[in-house]
Amino acid sequence: MDNARDTGAGGPIGRRGAMQWLIRGFLSLWGLGTAALGISFLKAPSPENRPGEGQLHCGTLSSLPVGRARFVRHGADPLFVVRASDSEVIALSAICSHLRCVLQWNDETGTIHCPCHAGTFDREGNVLSGPPNRPLSRYPAQVRGDEIVVHI
Amino acid sequence: MTAAWLALALAAAVTEPTGACGLCHPDVRVEHETSVHAREGIGCHDCHGGDPGATSTAAAHRGDFRGVPSRLDLPAACASCHSDLERMRPYNLPADQYALYRTSGHGVRLARGDDRVAVCTDCHGTHAIRRRDDPQSSVFPRNIPATCGRCHGAGASGESLEGEANPFAAYVGGVHGQAFLEDNNSSAPHCGSCHGAHGAAPPGVGDVDKVCGQCHSPARTYFLQSPHAAAMQTAGAPECASCHDHHGIRAATESMLESVCTRCHEAGSPQSEVASAMRTLFRGAEDEIDAARTLVDRAAAIPLYVEDYKARLEEARTSLVQSFPVMHALKVDGVEELTRRARSIAAEVESEVNGKLLERRWRRVGLLLFWFYLILTMVILVRYRRRALSEATR
Amino acid sequence: MVSRGEGGKRRSLSAWLEERFNLTEMFSFAASFGLFPAELDTSRPFNEALQEAIRRPLPSYGRWPRVLGILSLLVFAFLAATGVLLAFYYQPTTEEAYRSVTTIVRDVNFGWFLHQAHRWSARLLLVILLVRLWRFFFQGMYKAPREALWIVALLTFLVATHADLTGRLLTWNADGYWATVRALEVLYSLPLVGPMFSFLIGGPRIDSLVMTRFYVLHLAAIPFIMTGLFYLHFSGVRRVGLSAVARETRPVGGALKVHIYNLLILTALLFGALVTLVTLLPVPFIDPADPFATPVGARPPWYLLAAYGLLEIFPSAWPRFLPGLVIEATLAVAFLLPFLDRSPGREMRQRRLAIAIGAAVLVAWACFTWYGFQLEVGG
Repeated sequence: MDNARDTGAGGPIGRRGAMQWLIRGFLSLWGLGTAALGISFLKAPSPENRPGEGQLHCGTLSSLPVGRARFVRHGADPLFVVRASDSEVIALSAICSHLRCVLQWNDETGTIHCPCHAGTFDREGNVLSGPPNRPLSRYPAQVRGDEIVVHI
Repeated sequence: MTAAWLALALAAAVTEPTGACGLCHPDVRVEHETSVHAREGIGCHDCHGGDPGATSTAAAHRGDFRGVPSRLDLPAACASCHSDLERMRPYNLPADQYALYRTSGHGVRLARGDDRVAVCTDCHGTHAIRRRDDPQSSVFPRNIPATCGRCHGAGASGESLEGEANPFAAYVGGVHGQAFLEDNNSSAPHCGSCHGAHGAAPPGVGDVDKVCGQCHSPARTYFLQSPHAAAMQTAGAPECASCHDHHGIRAATESMLESVCTRCHEAGSPQSEVASAMRTLFRGAEDEIDAARTLVDRAAAIPLYVEDYKARLEEARTSLVQSFPVMHALKVDGVEELTRRARSIAAEVESEVNGKLLERRWRRVGLLLFWFYLILTMVILVRYRRRALSEATR
Repeated sequence: MVSRGEGGKRRSLSAWLEERFNLTEMFSFAASFGLFPAELDTSRPFNEALQEAIRRPLPSYGRWPRVLGILSLLVFAFLAATGVLLAFYYQPTTEEAYRSVTTIVRDVNFGWFLHQAHRWSARLLLVILLVRLWRFFFQGMYKAPREALWIVALLTFLVATHADLTGRLLTWNADGYWATVRALEVLYSLPLVGPMFSFLIGGPRIDSLVMTRFYVLHLAAIPFIMTGLFYLHFSGVRRVGLSAVARETRPVGGALKVHIYNLLILTALLFGALVTLVTLLPVPFIDPADPFATPVGARPPWYLLAAYGLLEIFPSAWPRFLPGLVIEATLAVAFLLPFLDRSPGREMRQRRLAIAIGAAVLVAWACFTWYGFQLEVGG
């Protein structure tokens, strides 16, 4: 089919060459399409939709009196869930910002206490006394219905 | 022989603590024996006087025999023990019932000589008095509405409250009655929860409303911030009951903003504008949430994973529900903020689910395009192959 | 990479590379996976060796039954590619696995496509490998010098079933979890190899350690072994040549180009079939695994149903290892088939006994599969 023709009339490329390039372009769409599919797939979804974006359920709001805190285990990152008011809940890391001891909640004074070097934090995580010089890390906490959900 | 039988019958009939009274009053004896009084060794003579050991009427009805107390005297008679702190202490019972009773609507009338009011026995029973926590007791919480309803119900002699002829029926048909009696929700109120038990009085202005606020505190907080609070106090109108009725309380819906507000505010007034605005906000949020919920259900039927969408819709609904007490402050801003949040969450969920559903429809279109592309490719490839084949065999 | 004989720039690049690497050997290795059916002379420079190979007379490869080998490799390559991409999102813990899969399927762009393509390709691979095995058997393609090819083909199928089995658990849905539980019951009850499986997998209960091991097996160990097996097969074919079939066309020069086009057409057809299957017949979404709730109709995977049926059909009074021994004996005979079959040639009439036994085994396998299937109600 193609041998009979010369690089035909017209410009430097000619009809045969143009057809070839067209076909090459067409076929290369396979590669481009696959690449586009792969790249589109690899585009990480927004943080809310990420798998494994842990949502820790930390019990019910109604079972946590106002002004009290609940200790929640979570592997290496335990946390306190403090009920600051009727509807407000604060989730604080239960790891001391000084030397990473596990903290304890004091019911009577409403403060968080470190057994290692007697550091004290208030219920918002701010340092009250002792060696720690950074406040406790906070996690975003939500109340859904009666359920406290913390985003870890 | 008959003497033996007689003796046996006598022995059977004579029991502690009724004594020989049961010989002539067997039905009453049987009733009394089920009661908590009998169990504590309180006998007929403790209330009625007389001689429990006597076996003849004359002998029994002698001395300090009081007979059946008159209704006017009855509360005082019960109070002779039940207001005695020393006597009540071992049972850990309160001793203020009589004092409360005398302040109550019932007690006040009785003092005036009207005995067509409830006295102790009307609610607690005469002889078969059970403990309050006994489910068969007429004053067991679940039975209280029926007990009050004996007088304050249909075709009865009780008070009618400003046109409400049957408070009992109204209560049973309302949300509190439904919750308490049908759903067995023990945190819902019965008659005594709002009116008081022994000090029961038709509540005056500011009485029951304060009681409403014990449970519905967010609503009351916001209500007190509103112009309604001061106005109703001045006018002497009941606060909560003006809009929500006394006994037949219906579930509050946004349609109330149209029907109830116009009782006082004429249509077109600034106040009814506020009501309409809030109604629009509520309705908008509810519609949005319902639409999102329908969509999520449709997606779930495919099936698609929708648990996180459902959780977010719960959040939206929570926001909406939070806005209902806020409405009582009569400020549109507060309501608007919460309903806006509810709507935005619901709208987000809707758009995401829609996106997923749409994407699924587009797959077929994509497939057709792909087939077209594939067939073209095959044509080209087969042509090239044929050419290579013909070259090869040469 | 074919030199076009153009300007100095191109030539110097290949020459530059030629001084530093044995390109011919590299290409020979890479192309040995079915791409290039003949051996390259690795002592010659790449361009020369390639030109020579293109011109070399080769038998025509365009026979449909032969396609199974390269098709299985293509499907495997597709599985590997989709698998690697999926692994960018998948989380191999018992708590997160299900959620990561639903995120892939629902929220990641084309995640549904890759996930479904991976599943469909897995099913296709097993079918292709099995059909290929039966084809080898019935066409006598295990006779000398093809004994190793037969053993490799059998191994490939068995290893592929393990890939399928490990892959099922990883989605952590009800079907996969319970299919794995039933499958492990079957595997562990085999004498000798059962304890080895148990050792490798990490115990009878499916917990997070088992999950991790399945993940490693599925992603690394088994694909590595499969690649090795494919390489063995194709380089073996290069050495022994294609099996001669009656009415074979004589070898012709320039057959390589035709072969390449055959491959491209095959790839396009395969891709087309997969895309169609994935879009029109996606595997439905299944509930998460619940170790406390056995769904109706939980069975071992289809390839283990025959073994399961056999295990169950033996009376329970008999010792449990007996049916296991039967299964293992069957496999051993299958492996040693080239050495056990003493018939003179490849033609079917020369191997009547072998064919008869093979057909009987096939029928028995089908019957036991059906029997194992209907042991569970529903599902």
